Amino acid sequence: MLFRRIYQFLIVYSVAIAFLWMIKMGLSLSDYVIPGFSLVVETAGQVFKEYFFDVINTLSVAVLGQALSIVLAFTVGISGRKSSWIGSFIKVTAYNIQAYPIVALAPIIFILLGDGFIPRLMIASMICYFPLLLSVLGIMATPVENIEHFYIVTGRMRWQLEVKIRAFENLSKLTTVISGSATLAMAGTIVGEFIAANAGIGYSIRIALYQSDLAKILVALFMIGIIISIYQGILETLGEQMKSKWSISNGGEVL
Amino acid sequence: MYLECHNLNFTYPGNTTAVINNLSFSMKDPGFNALFGPSGVGKTSLAKMIANAKFRSDGDITTGNIDTILYSYNLERLPGWSSTGNHLDKVTAPEKQSLKEQLTGIFELNDVLGSRFSQLSMGQQNRINLIRYLLQEFDLLIMDESLANVDEKLRETIILAIKEVFSDKMFLYISHNLLEVSKFCSQILVFRKSSENKNSFVIEGQDCKKGYSLDKKQLDATMLEIMNAF
Repeated sequence: MLFRRIYQFLIVYSVAIAFLWMIKMGLSLSDYVIPGFSLVVETAGQVFKEYFFDVINTLSVAVLGQALSIVLAFTVGISGRKSSWIGSFIKVTAYNIQAYPIVALAPIIFILLGDGFIPRLMIASMICYFPLLLSVLGIMATPVENIEHFYIVTGRMRWQLEVKIRAFENLSKLTTVISGSATLAMAGTIVGEFIAANAGIGYSIRIALYQSDLAKILVALFMIGIIISIYQGILETLGEQMKSKWSISNGGEVL
Repeated sequence: MYLECHNLNFTYPGNTTAVINNLSFSMKDPGFNALFGPSGVGKTSLAKMIANAKFRSDGDITTGNIDTILYSYNLERLPGWSSTGNHLDKVTAPEKQSLKEQLTGIFELNDVLGSRFSQLSMGQQNRINLIRYLLQEFDLLIMDESLANVDEKLRETIILAIKEVFSDKMFLYISHNLLEVSKFCSQILVFRKSSENKNSFVIEGQDCKKGYSLDKKQLDATMLEIMNAF
């Protein structure tokens, strides 16, 4: 799973770079517009270490923001799973807010809170929170009737058991949504840094943009892609391990 | 102990044709009774109405000495996060542990208690599901094709054991097996299609118990009576 993610990214990145160089050759563009292979390699040698730590900085904010949004999405999703008025209110609100591009609210957060760790964290959380919430709400609000029936009719159903049944039955969906939201969290953090932060890879890209240094941007994109692929691969592997741990009997024979 | 239905009607929401039309019947005393009829005549709908008070109107279903009604069906599943044995333990009261062991032996499930539900065959899944209902407190248990996919010999063993162990309970067995229903059930409610506008009615079955000697003529007569009732 982990290596597949990295291979996939390398293929996509190589195709994109090859396309850029084809344009460069086709239109005889200078290195100033589209840097050549040697310039990209040279730039990579100069900024690799700095950008690596910048991406790690961004990733740590994204991971924290994602964790925060997962906790929030599960809390709200579990509370809103019932078809009570609170549940309906949460669902309608989530659907409506989801329809709005949350990233457009980023400037307000920076104006109110300034540029630093908290605004970056907030933007990362907000961007991946609503898609997560909608998925969790959808899963938690859908009964697994052929399992839940027994517990309901015998009076054994508790909210913890209901949540456990629904989460277990939708484990594949949940792990896919959680690993997918990692990209959203990373994108949110980078956008936040790009707008007004003072650290992270988004901030470094902004500086490179002001210098019109495409080589630096290409190196930054490569670093982001590799590290997010590793992070997503780890999440997916953890999800797979959790699924197999939950669903395959230890020592039980297949009949 | 009795179960009575008076002029019961049921139509699915959004549908104009009634599934159950003016159905009246009564069943008395503990025992193994059946709901029998072709698919789509309303057996499951009736079972759900009996089991769930929110589907009833005042007075259309009355019971005497029946406080707890459970409805089990053959597509139910146990959660997959632990073994079927663990699930059974969790839903069995301490005083029913010996009954659980007795039933798992009769139902031939001792070898699969360490396996997850998804690893069992369909017949094993239905048997384990039925056991967990039998281990609960109930006065009337509705078994909606609860022994589907179980081989005939074991099904007979299970039905005879249920009749012996739970002789003070009432059962409503929904099955499409004419021979089985005629042989083991005491009262059989035979359903007719509501479109044919004929009344459903109760037929006396052979009610065979453990160690029975079968009167084949009587059994044939019961089966004929049921078939003619369609």
